[in-house]
Amino acid sequence: MEPVFLAGFVDGLKTLGINLPSLLAQLINFTILLILLSIFAYKPMMRMLDERRRRIQEGLEAAEQAKQSAARAEQDVQAQLERARQEGQAVIGQAQQIAARIQEEAHQQARQDAEALVDRARGEIQLERDSAIADLRREFAGLTIEAAEKVIGQSLDPKAHRRLIEEALAESTLGGDGDQPPSGSEPRS
Amino acid sequence: MKGIRLRLVIVGLIILILAGFVFLRGPTPHIQIKPETLYSFWKINITNTMITSWLVVALMIGLVFLASRRWELVPRGVQNLLEAIIEAFYNLVVSIAGENNGRRFFPAVATIFFFVLFANWFSLFPIFNVIGLGQEEEHGFVMEKVDLGPLPATYVSLSSPSQLQGQTIDKDDPEAAQKAEEERDKGNFVGEIRPFLRGVNTDLNTPLALAIMSAIFVEFWGISTLGFFAYGRKFFNLGGLLRGIRRLSPSQVFQGVVDAFVGFLELVSEMVRLISFTFRLFGNMFAGEVVILMFTFLIPLVLTLPFYGLELFVGLIQAFIFAALTLVFGMIAVAHGEPPGAEEAEAEVHKTQTTESQLVGSEQ
Repeated sequence: MEPVFLAGFVDGLKTLGINLPSLLAQLINFTILLILLSIFAYKPMMRMLDERRRRIQEGLEAAEQAKQSAARAEQDVQAQLERARQEGQAVIGQAQQIAARIQEEAHQQARQDAEALVDRARGEIQLERDSAIADLRREFAGLTIEAAEKVIGQSLDPKAHRRLIEEALAESTLGGDGDQPPSGSEPRS
Repeated sequence: MKGIRLRLVIVGLIILILAGFVFLRGPTPHIQIKPETLYSFWKINITNTMITSWLVVALMIGLVFLASRRWELVPRGVQNLLEAIIEAFYNLVVSIAGENNGRRFFPAVATIFFFVLFANWFSLFPIFNVIGLGQEEEHGFVMEKVDLGPLPATYVSLSSPSQLQGQTIDKDDPEAAQKAEEERDKGNFVGEIRPFLRGVNTDLNTPLALAIMSAIFVEFWGISTLGFFAYGRKFFNLGGLLRGIRRLSPSQVFQGVVDAFVGFLELVSEMVRLISFTFRLFGNMFAGEVVILMFTFLIPLVLTLPFYGLELFVGLIQAFIFAALTLVFGMIAVAHGEPPGAEEAEAEVHKTQTTESQLVGSEQ
């Protein structure tokens, strides 16, 4: 039974055109194609794909790095700008302080100068007044002496005379001190 | 304007169809499952499919060689095209099988794909099936003879309105011998054509060879990944049965029988796979060839074109199916049984347990 079946099977294969030489030829064909394609197409291509992927990866990484460093630089610049601004602010503040101080000093100086000027003026005025008073007194003494000579008709010893007047004047408010209130004191004649 | 042009095109096509129908009708095609033998050396018959197959291989190698003399990082021209195709297929394989398996499987799967694809598409060239060696017989085509220098040539003359078909002497015609004699007396040639080129996959040997290669690769991947015995256990799974018998546990024996039967089914399916691979490809391509031959015989012009388009599609699909099935079977072979790494995980658990017990021991 079995050999008949087998024979039928082989006959069937033959009818379909399957035969060992053709089959082997196709197998060898395919193997050759596989080997050659592997050598000439797949391997180099896969290697190149890997290489390309690696390069793209590298490129992406480099771009990423560049981006990061750019961001860092930006940050640096920002920080520097900020610092510069702060420094500028500080400088301006200092300058303002200095200016204020100078202004203050100038004020002070001016006030002092003015005061000194006023003081001197006051002193001068005082001196003027003193000398005016002294002149007036002298004039007045001379006038008084003359008047007294005329009235008395006799001439006093001019020295004694003068001394007398001086004494009188010393008692009067015109005596130069000016501290005493002039009220109630009339120059004696 | 557009309507007129469309109408002109339609009229032209109809005229073409009619002219073809009148003048280009050939003789009744002779369809044969076996590839025709062209030459015989010693005991080996060189068939036309063998020759075509060599031609296909040579062309593919030539093309690749031309493109790949220098694989450059920035591709150009033919290299660019080939590379785009191969890369697309590579990406497909990797996306199906994963990075590691994909890389391993790729050369075989791609070679199957491109060989089948190239062979299928190549066989659509009109030089296929119509040019060949004449073989004088009592039946077959009636052809006229001409002398082309040293080579005697015969050809099928154009059909005409009076003779709407190429002359054929039917094999089953009882008067075949007589008719052939008459034609020979007229100086004509009577016989079959053995075409030089015939679609590679219309010869059962080629799909069978591809299926065998595919099976070899699948088994090879399985064995090299899982080891010979682990892979063999998939088919001869008697461990559970023996264990059940030893323990005298009916349920385990039953389980073991089921496992063994499943293994047997796997083995059978492995064989059946071979046959289904073979006949799927052969059937599709042979049918395609017959359809094109018949339509060329019936309506020589224009209306055959849709079938060429169909055959382009079928050729691609069959190539893809063959390759993809190989890939999938490879993945099944590689990832069979317990998920890979289960044993390792078990070993890991075992190791941690021992270290724990050691720790406990050292503490004591």
